[in-house]
Amino acid sequence: MRVRADWMVAVAVILGACQQPAASTSAGDTVFVAGTKIGTAPPNTNEGEWSMPARDYANSRYSGLAQITPDNAKNLKVSWTFSTGVLRGHEGQPLVVGNTMYLVTPYPNVSYALDLTQPGFPLKWKYRPENAQAAVGVACCDVVNRGATYSDGKIVYNLLDGHTVAVDAGTGTELWRVKMGDVNRGETITMAPIVVKGKVIVGSSGGEMGVRGWIAAIDLATGKQLWRAYNVGPDADMKVGPRFKPFYPQDRGANLGTSSWPGESWKVGGAVVWGWISYDPALNLLYHGTSNPGPWNGNQRPGDNKWSAAIIARDPDTGEMIWAFQPTPHDIWDYDAVNENILVDLPMGNATRKALVHFDRNGFAYTMDRATGEVLLAKPFVPMNWSSGVDLATGRPNVNVDKATAQGKNVKDICPSLEGGKNQLPAAFSPKTGLFYVPTNNLCMDFEGREVTYIAGTPYIGGNAPEKGGPGGYKGEFMAWDAVQGKKIWGIKEPFPVWSGALATAGNVVYYGTLDGWFKAVDARNGTVLYQFKVGSGIVGAPMTYTGPDGKQYVAVYAGIGGDMGLLIAGDVAANLPFDVRERGTTLPDLARYTSWGGMLFVFSL
Amino acid sequence: MRISKSLGVPICAIVLTALAFQLGGARQTPAPQTRSQPGTQPTYFIEHPDNVQPGLGIHSRLAALTNPFEGDKASIAEGAKLFIAYNCLDCHGADGAGAMGPSFQDNRWHFGGTAGEVFQSIYEGRPEGMPSWGGRIRDEEIWRLVAYVRTLSTGHSVATENFTGKTIARSGH
Repeated sequence: MRVRADWMVAVAVILGACQQPAASTSAGDTVFVAGTKIGTAPPNTNEGEWSMPARDYANSRYSGLAQITPDNAKNLKVSWTFSTGVLRGHEGQPLVVGNTMYLVTPYPNVSYALDLTQPGFPLKWKYRPENAQAAVGVACCDVVNRGATYSDGKIVYNLLDGHTVAVDAGTGTELWRVKMGDVNRGETITMAPIVVKGKVIVGSSGGEMGVRGWIAAIDLATGKQLWRAYNVGPDADMKVGPRFKPFYPQDRGANLGTSSWPGESWKVGGAVVWGWISYDPALNLLYHGTSNPGPWNGNQRPGDNKWSAAIIARDPDTGEMIWAFQPTPHDIWDYDAVNENILVDLPMGNATRKALVHFDRNGFAYTMDRATGEVLLAKPFVPMNWSSGVDLATGRPNVNVDKATAQGKNVKDICPSLEGGKNQLPAAFSPKTGLFYVPTNNLCMDFEGREVTYIAGTPYIGGNAPEKGGPGGYKGEFMAWDAVQGKKIWGIKEPFPVWSGALATAGNVVYYGTLDGWFKAVDARNGTVLYQFKVGSGIVGAPMTYTGPDGKQYVAVYAGIGGDMGLLIAGDVAANLPFDVRERGTTLPDLARYTSWGGMLFVFSL
Repeated sequence: MRISKSLGVPICAIVLTALAFQLGGARQTPAPQTRSQPGTQPTYFIEHPDNVQPGLGIHSRLAALTNPFEGDKASIAEGAKLFIAYNCLDCHGADGAGAMGPSFQDNRWHFGGTAGEVFQSIYEGRPEGMPSWGGRIRDEEIWRLVAYVRTLSTGHSVATENFTGKTIARSGH
């Protein structure tokens, strides 16, 4: 029996080899985690389109396009470029719907529609929204925008000054513009919305400004707000009701959004929604993270500070909270939990679990049950010392008290730093390999907490935290991750934190960019760099892929350094501010040797 | 006949245009003159050396004020404490190295760097997010902040960046 089975396998392998053309042997699939699938149906668009921020509701950033393979990726070249006319950090990704490409710039959040059918890709329209300049001064970490979404003939995105806008995708005409946040209190919006069943889901930024975080739904047709749910405060405000069933006992109870905070400190408690949103149509659940609690100084807010630094599942129809989980209860390291939640179905034990995979700022990669909020697995994906591990009985991290920050104390060498093991730069998942492709940081920090007073419209931080490279002599790594075993399969170490998103494709090529401006195409199976090109500025956006009117596969990415790394940490990559000339920082002392601010779209093809 | 008629209008237009140009030029070009004395300039010659950087508010009442605590060590030390207490540090960085808001270590001033101009920036606020503190904190506190902030660029020369040079610790958000 056993012999016979082996013999059958051998025949199958030979047959498989014979059926494949010799040239594609090296492009064959290698499945590392069998039976792992994207957890939602493909988007309701053609394979060659990209109509929502992460391409699908699962946030896979996976495209079925396969013209570019490990065999031919060396023939990639720059096909065309476009200047957005704006400097500063270009996070997010372009969209392609039909034969039109849509771009959104950092503040002042201009959007462009480019006609891909015409030589030189002329504009169909350009939309320059009203956008209060005061927003520039209250945006914590550069004036970034993470992109638009397309639905029902509309391009929808957020403005830094707290508005959400919808424009006609065909003409660029403004259809509605609604005020969602109050810039005078330090609220901005940087996240990319998604549309679920005719509702635009948006959330606020401003976790460093003592705002009170929320997520809201807007009627796509009219611009009217349908619901708004806060992430801190009384149950009614948070839309916590009888359907709220967190997995762990310590997370159950009435009004935890106030009782886990001293006094009324929840009113300035942060927990904003500046990251990516995912959605499971079968479970009818939205997934979003929340930011750090305010202020960073934890002595001013003893308690778990729910639901800051949390992953939250909500009903998109009503906003009701269904479950919530804090990777970092009582966060005292600025470990926001806003990173994307990637929805996959994967084998765990003897069962296929409807899972959510989340690479947290705190350095743990969580594989969770997305129906219940149970942590199935939590493993470190970067060097860390603040915690010795996650207790799966409670989901809580075991905190190393030596690395607990405190007011008036300078705690040295905490890893990861406040930038996290990974920041907002989104990971990708490939069902071809069953692996996640993850841009990561290897940074540590010293942290000195201090008392801070809440003053509306000013930062509410209370801590100083200079950063440095982590152990090993590298500051970033692009890695392939097995979320069933919780282990790294391969990694590419980088001299700088990897601050771009990832793109996975059916051609078994994955793509990412670096802060020093290298765009890279990598073999999904083993991390071999197949092609790289030095673009005009550091990459903090996320690559996407589409099929052009000529039937060819293109890969597009923004070049335009910025965000926390390009503005605050390096300090000196700007060159266009004659009245603000900063000296270089210790964390990335060489970055400005290799890049300066920019604002370009680069498009690659064979 | 047809040709000369069709050419007639353009030729006429060219002549008239040239004539108008000559007349206009004669009217607009000043005659050569020697350097004029103050108060004797012809009215069409406008000097505006004080207005080449509009928006600096050089003529503002506030900008003309002088700091009662200028150079006073105790006031500068008090200003350093206020810089933290009023959350200036988290915008402008530790020791004013620049963060969300601009650096004070570069001795470059978007809205003017005299004591009165810095006072005006703090008192009235500035368009890209600098809050207006006038009336929210006492004027003496603003002057102490001015005294402190203006010391931060001492010893810093930022025009040239040499990548073998020193670095400074920065905090991200």
